[in-house]
Amino acid sequence: MNSPAMHHPIGARWRQLLRISLATAAAAMLGLGSAARAADSVIVLDSAEAQLTLIDSATHKVIGTAPTGKEPHHLLLTPDQRSLVVANSASNNLMLVDPRTGKLQRRIDGIEDPYQLGFSPDRKWFVTAALRLDRVDIYHYDGQDFKLAARLPMARTPSHLTFSSDSQTVFVTVQDTGELVAIDLPTQTLRWRMPVGDTPAGVWMTPGDKYLLVGMTGADYVAVVDWRERKVIKKIPTGRAAHNFRSLADGKRVAVSNRVSNTISIIDYGSLTKVDEIAGLLPGPDDMELTPDRRYLWVTFRFARHVGVIDMNTLKLVETIPVGRSPHGIFFADRAPIQAPNAD
Amino acid sequence: MLDAMFDRATGFIDGLQTLLFVDLLQPIFYALGLMGYAEDAYDALYWVIVGLLQVLIAYLLLRPLEALRPAEPWTDRRALRADVIYTWIARLGLLNIAFFFLLQPLFFHWQSLMAMHGLPQFDLDGWLPGISDRPVVSFAIYFVVLDFAGYWYHRWQHRFGIWWELHAVHHSQRQLSLWSDDRNHFLDEMLQAAFFAALALVIGVAPGQFLMLVAVGNFLQSVQHANARIPFGPVLGRLLVSPAFHRRHHAIGDGHEGVHRGCNFGVLLPWWDMLFGSASWDARVKPTGIADQLPAPAGSGRDYGGGIWAQQWRAFGRIGARLAGRASSAQGAAKGNEA
Repeated sequence: MNSPAMHHPIGARWRQLLRISLATAAAAMLGLGSAARAADSVIVLDSAEAQLTLIDSATHKVIGTAPTGKEPHHLLLTPDQRSLVVANSASNNLMLVDPRTGKLQRRIDGIEDPYQLGFSPDRKWFVTAALRLDRVDIYHYDGQDFKLAARLPMARTPSHLTFSSDSQTVFVTVQDTGELVAIDLPTQTLRWRMPVGDTPAGVWMTPGDKYLLVGMTGADYVAVVDWRERKVIKKIPTGRAAHNFRSLADGKRVAVSNRVSNTISIIDYGSLTKVDEIAGLLPGPDDMELTPDRRYLWVTFRFARHVGVIDMNTLKLVETIPVGRSPHGIFFADRAPIQAPNAD
Repeated sequence: MLDAMFDRATGFIDGLQTLLFVDLLQPIFYALGLMGYAEDAYDALYWVIVGLLQVLIAYLLLRPLEALRPAEPWTDRRALRADVIYTWIARLGLLNIAFFFLLQPLFFHWQSLMAMHGLPQFDLDGWLPGISDRPVVSFAIYFVVLDFAGYWYHRWQHRFGIWWELHAVHHSQRQLSLWSDDRNHFLDEMLQAAFFAALALVIGVAPGQFLMLVAVGNFLQSVQHANARIPFGPVLGRLLVSPAFHRRHHAIGDGHEGVHRGCNFGVLLPWWDMLFGSASWDARVKPTGIADQLPAPAGSGRDYGGGIWAQQWRAFGRIGARLAGRASSAQGAAKGNEA
């Protein structure tokens, strides 16, 4: 039965105000008020300054820096995606930081010269390429700890690495000898080595594990390697000093940075040709990261102390942001997948 | 305001580094198939630019002081010419390049072997994570430790006869000036680089990001050698090596021939001389050089060479003489002959 107060105009007004107040108070308690939630950070490793720079991903303003160890070059997400691993190659340790804020979670010492690093797809192995110490180190990974399994001496300067999808093999480029090597992960032994070109750097597995793409920093092409046959089957012309890769997350294309030409080439997996080029960049384009809508490609300019934002619709550099010296690795948590689902 | 000036200075250096690397060095590296060294060259270029700017600033600040307030009056500056060339060689990184290609790979290889054989390695600034790796603390730790190592390296240069003959190139300068800091035997420079590289195997590498502060240290050494009266006072003089303190080290009869086979060996900090009893606070200006450069009967009138190559080769001659068992520096031989 309705009471007379419920239908009184002034009473209704007070009830409405009360409802609004309660809702506002609840929203405030949950942190969902009118103020926008703080944006995540873009994390850039300033490899010559032992720090990382944090950029607000919404405003693109530098919001601060945080100390790292010495010479932090590369970074990657842990398999559970709860931590970002910052590899301090001259401090011989790893820092695990929050992927969204860059805040330090924990340190792991005794990881020697982790210049480049990677987790196997099955999450059981963690591999580092020790550029300075001429070694590849393989660790057992149990989701929390890293336990050394083997150290494999390389001839000179192992540089970048990638894995086969079945986690049986890790492929490593050896910069100074111009080689690509394949290491058997379960036995941690060298399977084979092959010459691949001048100063090979970034190495990338195409969808379906069909081919390896290798960036030639000493030349102007990407080598296409049939790794089962151990042959270079094609050279895709790019800019000078093809260096590092980032998939465009569409299952069809990958971007490769060209450090001397200051361009980025877009390669089509299907035709194994260059289909586009982004020019007019600052010196030393290196590592890249892609927004989840695939609209903007962020890139570190190693020799220009800036990061850049490229509009992938127009293929134009639309913004540059100053960071620390020799920016190398870049990451943001809300990013496009590294590999799109296989279109095959 | 200081922050703004510092930002402008680093911005200028960054821009110059990019310009020189992208337009000059990188195309050469690419053409010669040396792209594997491009990143090292880029980093090294920063050191070179800062080093050259440090020389320029030292000259602009100290040369007027040498003219207006000389510690010793000179009529002829020709004796400084070799020192100017030594300085440019050092600041252009030519010796560092030589070390990088000749010896650095060996030290990296040893570091790798140490890890593979389970020998403990230690990063000095990782001693207290969260504290000792904070940039200012990290720098202070390495600054003090490396200066301590530098003190002992310097004492050993004076202690051992063959080593002294190399270091004598530095001490043979009778007209100490802002250019004299880098007047050193090239082999001794290599030995010093190897010494600190070996030390880095044990304590980890010093932070490369403190380039500016290293440049300040080099500037202080230019101040120490300047032919200028720059009193530090009793407090500052006990914190940092003053020109008077270091000039005493170069003084004939004191710096190498003194009670402890010399005195005032400190590089930037006089603390170690104070701690180990090798400090002399006598601030009187005395002639610099080596006793046996003096004409008889005070010395033997030994010629240590006027130009760079003469100085380098004569050092080998003196070493040969020691090894052959003949008398070397008249006052140093009896104390320092450990060959």
